[in-house]
Amino acid sequence: MREAPLSGASSRSRSKRPLLDRESFLGPLMILPAVLYVAALVGFPFVLSIYLALSDAKIASNTYGFVGLDNVRGALESPTFRKSLGNTFIFTLVSQALVLVLGKILATCLTKRFWGKSIFRFLILLPWVAPISLGTIGWKWMLDSLYSPVNWVLQATHLVGKNTWPMWFGEKDLAMAAVIAVHVWRLLPFATVIILAGLTSIPKEVDEAAEVDGAGFWSREFYIVLPLLRPILTVAGLFGIIFAFTDMTVIYVLTRGGPAQATQVLSSLAFFTGILGGDLAGGAAISLFLFPVLVVVAIVMLMVARRTEVA
Amino acid sequence: MGESRFTRRTFLKTAGVAAAAVATPTIFVPTARAKSDTLKIGQWTHFVPAFDEWFDKKYCPEWGQKNGVKVVVDHISVNDLRARAAAEVSAKKGHDLFGFLDPPPAYENVVVPMNEVVSECEKKYGKLVNLAQRATYNPKTKKYFAVSDNWVPDPLHYRKDVWGEIGMKPDTWEHIREGSKKIKDKNGMPAGFGISQELDTNMMVRALLWSFGAQEQDESSTKVMINSKATVEAIRLMTAIYKESETAEVFTWDPSSNNRFFVSGKGHIIQNAISAIRTLEKQNPELAKKAGLALPAAGPGGKRMASEHLLHCYVVWQFGENPEMAKKFIVDLIGSYNDAFLASEFYNFPSFSKSVSDLKGKLAADKVNPEEYAILGDFEKYSAYPGYPGYTTAAIDECFNTFVLPDMFARVAKGEMSAEDSAKQADADMKRIFAKWNK
Repeated sequence: MREAPLSGASSRSRSKRPLLDRESFLGPLMILPAVLYVAALVGFPFVLSIYLALSDAKIASNTYGFVGLDNVRGALESPTFRKSLGNTFIFTLVSQALVLVLGKILATCLTKRFWGKSIFRFLILLPWVAPISLGTIGWKWMLDSLYSPVNWVLQATHLVGKNTWPMWFGEKDLAMAAVIAVHVWRLLPFATVIILAGLTSIPKEVDEAAEVDGAGFWSREFYIVLPLLRPILTVAGLFGIIFAFTDMTVIYVLTRGGPAQATQVLSSLAFFTGILGGDLAGGAAISLFLFPVLVVVAIVMLMVARRTEVA
Repeated sequence: MGESRFTRRTFLKTAGVAAAAVATPTIFVPTARAKSDTLKIGQWTHFVPAFDEWFDKKYCPEWGQKNGVKVVVDHISVNDLRARAAAEVSAKKGHDLFGFLDPPPAYENVVVPMNEVVSECEKKYGKLVNLAQRATYNPKTKKYFAVSDNWVPDPLHYRKDVWGEIGMKPDTWEHIREGSKKIKDKNGMPAGFGISQELDTNMMVRALLWSFGAQEQDESSTKVMINSKATVEAIRLMTAIYKESETAEVFTWDPSSNNRFFVSGKGHIIQNAISAIRTLEKQNPELAKKAGLALPAAGPGGKRMASEHLLHCYVVWQFGENPEMAKKFIVDLIGSYNDAFLASEFYNFPSFSKSVSDLKGKLAADKVNPEEYAILGDFEKYSAYPGYPGYTTAAIDECFNTFVLPDMFARVAKGEMSAEDSAKQADADMKRIFAKWNK
């Protein structure tokens, strides 16, 4: 009997509460900027690229005729496209495998105490904070066909013969190795930091107990550390795959897809076709081939994140 | 004493008011599109720095003063010009005048037709040279989509001393092959014809193809003609030159690489604009004395052709703020080509035949190397443009900027395909591109 009026009063007071104090209003309001941001900077370009891919849009056209899947068919018929698709997978998978292995090694080093550790850590992080184009231009000169200091060092240390001068961007395999190496150089700090965070979260007691039980370094790595790191390694790998799959700066600056399209990837081919060649629709169709792979990667990432959350 | 707290409500209110204050002027203040008192020009960073010095610090300020406007020049690197143009068109905002290094027919829909400007310039400064006319005119719409103020010859640069040692001159493509092999065998010096996805290769391979009698398209600019016996022969010759006398660095080059290659003294022959020999004159005068220029090499039938190395042309965007002033600037600039030609150290050849007086006399009066530059006087008759013998169309433009022809040569030189198959693939690629643009 006495609770009813109280409850009524409470309900009245809730309805009189200012709008900004209500969670039901404030929650959506707070998330709105993020939604608008994603819609404007991701959603709109994505819808636009689908629209363009289905049209006959050119760089300066005023009209857009619907052509269905003609542009997709055109891309699939092109040997250059098929080569670029293969290159994209090689570039992405090899660079990510290297990034994860090297990132794990570096992160393990950084968990130890040694002299100059802070400088070492700073140097490792440098490629990540430097503008990508600037760093890549530096590598273009380091691997230049005439003045490469890398080649000079290789000769001076007798790692290559006196008359050998590797043409890093001129030979197919060397060119692919070079663009992968520069990409690894750029992404390594990111993976290292993520893996380092994972390593520091593993309780020391676990490692110490295994050591007391007689487990050696490799046994501890493979049976304790790596299984515990698996969620974080997956996140680092998936992020890296997205970065590698969508990046064109390294390729564009270093090789422009050469020699003979040996390092052309989908993102650079889309740029050449759509922007430099003026065929916007063709470029959009090529870039959309990235989408299914990225969707799969995104789903796996979300599943990993969810599983980690639940655990 | 009352408690002063910065609550969530206060924060949101303050943030809301601040955001509204910032956004309101941009939402409600109408954007007036008044005629600007500034003329904005976007163009490349010239390979001859003296030209930019003259253009930026002398010509533009003086012209601006005379016409009551401030002229602002933004220099854009060679490789970024197309991307920058695309960005300006997409944003419908940018420079009043935009300079391309190769004709941009794909942009015809967004530029002001230049027929009046061309007519006025032809009346004042003589006929527009054939290669510039065919590269900037659309015969279907009867519009000039750009006005070319200059084009750049593409002579052979060679080391007279090295070629003298083997008793030869690079007069024909077969001579180049034979001589380059002898030189490589004798002293290890490589030849320097790029096979890369870049501007200079695009020009050089066209010169080679035309000299062999091959062509990209027919005269009506509708039919792809690349898959021919002449093309196959040209590819075979280039492959032989690469295998016998070059290194894999020719696959790595950008537009400035062959200049560096020649200036460094490493190589004995390149095909390039005269910026290479000019740089050599400044950086290594002794070596420059040993360098020479030559006419384009002749093909098997004696046909001697080169591509323009660059065809500089201005467009005026429809969305530009100062189109009339921009047109006037072009007309006046072409009227000042005597100075421009000298400032560019003979790099910029006039697109209007009489805009430079006594061109041959000026070449012969060069202070450093008059004999070498004299050959440029007749270079126009050997020079063509992308799409020759048709017009430079949007389809040709895409073929040019997606490097269909350099790739055709590269596949064979790399041993990935036979010359016949590579010509067939280029033919298929070009037909796909032509089909898109000719719909």
